[in-house]
Amino acid sequence: MIRRIKKVAVLGSGVMGSGIACHFANIGLEVLLIDIAPRKLTETEKVKSLTLDDKVVRNRIVNDSLLAALKLKPSPIYKQSFAKRITTGNFEDDLSKIKDYDWVIEVVIERLDIKQQVLEKVDKFRRQGTLVTSNTSGISIETMREGKSDDFQKHFCGTHFFNPPRYLQLFEIIPSTKTDPKVLQFLQDFAGRYLGKTTVLAKDTPAFIANRIGTFSIMALFNNVKKYGLTITEIDKLTGPIIGRAKSATFRTADVVGLDTLVHVAGYISKTTDDERNDMFEIPGYLKKMLENKWLGSKTKQGFFKKIVEDGKKKFLSIDFDTLEYKEDPKPKFLVFDKTKDIDDLRKRMPILLSDKGKAGEFYRASFYSLFQYTSNRIPEITEDIYKVDDALNAGFGWKLGPFQTWDALGVAKTVKAMEETGKKPALWVFDMLDAGNTSFYKVKDGLKYYYDLNTRTYNVVPGQEGRLSLEVLRNTNVVWENTGVSIFDLDDGVLNVEFHTKMNTIGQDVLQGLNKALDMAEADFAALVISNEGDHFSAGANVGMIYMFAVEQEWEELNMAVQWFQKTTMRLRYSSIPVIAAPHGMTLGGGCEICMHSDKVIAYAETYMGLVEFGVGLIPGGGGTKEFALRLGDELKNGDIRTNAYMNRYLTIGQAKVSTSAYEAFDLGYLRQGVDEVIVSRTRQLAYAKKIALQMVEKGYSQPAPRNDIKVLGREALGIVYVGSNGFTKGHYMSEYDKLIAEKLGWVMAGGEISQVLTEVTEQYLLDIERQAFMELCMQRKTLERINSLITKGKILRN
Amino acid sequence: MNAYIVGGYRSAIGKAPHGTLRFTRPDDIAVTVIRHLLNDFPQIEKSNIDDVIVGNAFPEAESGMNMGRFLSLMSMDTVNVPGSTINRFCSSGIESIVIASAKITAGIADVIVAGGAESMSMINIGGWRLVPNPEVAKNNPGWYLSMGLTSEMVAREYKLKREDIDEFAANSYAKAINAIDKGYFKDQIVPITVKENYFEDGKMKTLEKIFVTDEGPRRGTTAQVLAKLRPVFAADGVSTAGNSSQMSDGAGFVLVVSEKALKRYNLSPVARLVDYQVAGVEPYKMGVGPVEAIPKVLKHAGMKLHDIDLIELNEAFATQSMVVVKEVGINPGVLNVNGGAIALGHPLGATGAKLTVQIINELKRRKKKYGMVTMCIGTGQGAAGIYEML
Repeated sequence: MIRRIKKVAVLGSGVMGSGIACHFANIGLEVLLIDIAPRKLTETEKVKSLTLDDKVVRNRIVNDSLLAALKLKPSPIYKQSFAKRITTGNFEDDLSKIKDYDWVIEVVIERLDIKQQVLEKVDKFRRQGTLVTSNTSGISIETMREGKSDDFQKHFCGTHFFNPPRYLQLFEIIPSTKTDPKVLQFLQDFAGRYLGKTTVLAKDTPAFIANRIGTFSIMALFNNVKKYGLTITEIDKLTGPIIGRAKSATFRTADVVGLDTLVHVAGYISKTTDDERNDMFEIPGYLKKMLENKWLGSKTKQGFFKKIVEDGKKKFLSIDFDTLEYKEDPKPKFLVFDKTKDIDDLRKRMPILLSDKGKAGEFYRASFYSLFQYTSNRIPEITEDIYKVDDALNAGFGWKLGPFQTWDALGVAKTVKAMEETGKKPALWVFDMLDAGNTSFYKVKDGLKYYYDLNTRTYNVVPGQEGRLSLEVLRNTNVVWENTGVSIFDLDDGVLNVEFHTKMNTIGQDVLQGLNKALDMAEADFAALVISNEGDHFSAGANVGMIYMFAVEQEWEELNMAVQWFQKTTMRLRYSSIPVIAAPHGMTLGGGCEICMHSDKVIAYAETYMGLVEFGVGLIPGGGGTKEFALRLGDELKNGDIRTNAYMNRYLTIGQAKVSTSAYEAFDLGYLRQGVDEVIVSRTRQLAYAKKIALQMVEKGYSQPAPRNDIKVLGREALGIVYVGSNGFTKGHYMSEYDKLIAEKLGWVMAGGEISQVLTEVTEQYLLDIERQAFMELCMQRKTLERINSLITKGKILRN
Repeated sequence: MNAYIVGGYRSAIGKAPHGTLRFTRPDDIAVTVIRHLLNDFPQIEKSNIDDVIVGNAFPEAESGMNMGRFLSLMSMDTVNVPGSTINRFCSSGIESIVIASAKITAGIADVIVAGGAESMSMINIGGWRLVPNPEVAKNNPGWYLSMGLTSEMVAREYKLKREDIDEFAANSYAKAINAIDKGYFKDQIVPITVKENYFEDGKMKTLEKIFVTDEGPRRGTTAQVLAKLRPVFAADGVSTAGNSSQMSDGAGFVLVVSEKALKRYNLSPVARLVDYQVAGVEPYKMGVGPVEAIPKVLKHAGMKLHDIDLIELNEAFATQSMVVVKEVGINPGVLNVNGGAIALGHPLGATGAKLTVQIINELKRRKKKYGMVTMCIGTGQGAAGIYEML
């Protein structure tokens, strides 16, 4: 029988428990979240003369935790209303309910005795076949399964979410010796497809894979930091986005995670393992003192960094390891960054960074060589499959390149030689690999990714690629056309994919040219077109630099042509003879949002942040976005609706530059269409799914839509409220006089101009023309140019 | 010829939109008050009542369909009594009493039920469908300015300080709590039976309660507490939820009769409307309306400010109230002695009638003669009426 998950019980409502419960609610399941019933009344409860038997009191702990979690930013839930899928309860009254649940996840405090107690009760109440997993970051799974029923043991394993569960991709699955392999297979598929996670099947070794390597990397840095002669700020600069890691890099991340938590994990590894670099997991003296002082990071307002406000300006001070005083570090400057600043490809950047002759290079070599050495020595202890280490660090720590991927980028043989010279010899199997003529850890062949398998000493296919498509893997073989802004891929079966690869994937002339080329090609020789890319974000919007240039030079005719070209391109996405599917992810702003809104269908990754944000640069959406909002408003109106309210709703979405915090919210904001567009939780399956849907549309019979000449607009009926509203916001000092001008232009276009008869039907081209006219008028304003200039030069939104 | 008020009641005032009266329709609240009022006068045959006039600021939805006529149908047990709805926004509730008095004085009516009813829980300020005239909005932006912003405009123009504004508001709370605790409002309030059906644990359940006490004033509202609230109408504003009038639900009605009716039904007069005037001011600072209306009504009545024993000034906002007090020169000792709309609430179209009922009761309690009810009115007006106890 096929296993189905409909109801999930989460035991323990701490930060992780609540986060996990929210993520299951995110994917539409019914969730029961349980925690202990309190032993004491609070003062407020006493005042209300409640007793320990009242349900509100008994569920107080779990309700408070869930409420706190739902207030977090970024939010653990795609959309607040999804939290209604979660029911709360307490261990004493509600644990027996788990008999009706398909999966029970234990997330109580990280103490074996307590976990054991809870799991024993779970064994008592669960029905046969129910999955039971423990979310632990290190406690032995084998110990936890002992003494339970056979059926329990078969269906029990470790599942390790990373915090926050919604956002971090990694899901480690840790079997015990008794776990049924079918259960593991099921969990791998479920976590990938339904929860959108990268699953890594790990061994039951201390801290599993990601934390073992990740914590080593941090602790090694903590222990060696004084040797490098670098400031904290310098190290964070060196270990941030420049090497493909989070902006918070090393020390700021440590502050956010909490030094106590980090030390706890490190201490656990140090206690339970006995590897050659165990010394690195020890707590250096300065860190001990910081812990004594309760300088634990963000939660105690100071850790490695301390934020102060001086003369109304925020400043970040960092700690001096010798004196333990906070000081202001000078702005870090490394000459090697000049060489890498134009290199977007991380794999090309890494060798340059490591070969630097200065302090930066010295630091990189020391830390990466020791990471490579440590990691290679952990194979096969923590896993036999090297790709799992990279997967775990990519997904769990947000490293764009894991240890073996980085090593490949640097050149394995060359690096091994350098490592030996500095006394950091890697594990023997690496020499074996090189000796057999294998020069890298990974290879791509025939559209599939292979990894070096040290048992067979050959390359094996990285599992889990079936049913997935990766542009990265297809890049060498399937690109059929490219320019500086886009690459067009042949995805086979008659489907093309157009990929943007400009900075932040902004849309300029090259991208517009590429989109038109893709449409030409698809219409001539293919069946369908997908628009997707594998950058950090789908698109930050139109390249405003181009608009600025034309405007400063007062080349109005050229600017008008350029805007018109943008409009024509987005219109072609809808009015072409082939289905066009947009598959956005991450930031999908301005022009990027307009591209999605004009595609026949959007297959959005759940983490898609959509918005028409042109207001910030003193403009209104000019690539058909304003028109499209007017069109959708007209289509939504039903007899008897209060039209002006529906209008204001749409109007304020653009007027307040609202950006969705998930794809689901994008439906509420009107960027995505109910019943047309779809959300997919798995990023790795997104492109393959988009292709499949494109082919289904072809199969069903797709033809180019007829142009719209029946768009209902409100005309004069809407204008009064626009003037009243924008005046109110201005008088209330919520926006500037200039904002008011933009707001009125936006209102005018969305109303379809000053048409007397409400619900007059107009053409799409008419709306595009007045949209472009308003856009051009704003481009001619000095204040709009000041705003654009501020964004280009300072990266800041100016409100003038 | 003269017109006499022979009785009057009001409902307790509920908070909107989440208070006790949130699901009780304005017509239902009004009918309960009117029936209670008429119970005091069994000698008056209902079919002899000439009119029911109700003031309402947003006569649409639950207050729509000429609510006045529905009140006459619902409360008179006969179809013969007519009814009408009138609107001058926040003075509607006294305007109806003025119209009743004028009709009686003119000799065209003898017995009229007049007052006001409003549910701000059900119909928000501005109503359901606000469609301003685009040209007027563009050329005279102040005319459609929201009430909150007019308060900010007054504060900016008169350079009011936030701490003084909060102090004024805290004073209103203190006076209101005192009046409630001492039971000053008890005799004037008609109990409203509130029935709520709600959904819980998969079932519809019913809750019934009797609403008799104004629920606006929150205890412990000091100036220090108010100082913590954020401005709600302007980014850098001074008006907050705590120093502005509350949104409210409620109703108030009085019975106005002619001399002929006094004799015929053997009634004792309680009070009479001496005079009433409305003045126009700049809409963007509508809050200063009473600054014009008060001198206007005094002059027309041939009276002086010191002749007035008590004043009920509707506290739309602490800001505008402070300006009125200062500009007119009102003695704080006679002003809103039992608290104002900041603490007790402001059910728009019902307020004029509610304040009339309050001031008549308080004049009676203090054995004083003259009282004034005055208020500012959205889109730039001020109204002031003078009552004399008989």
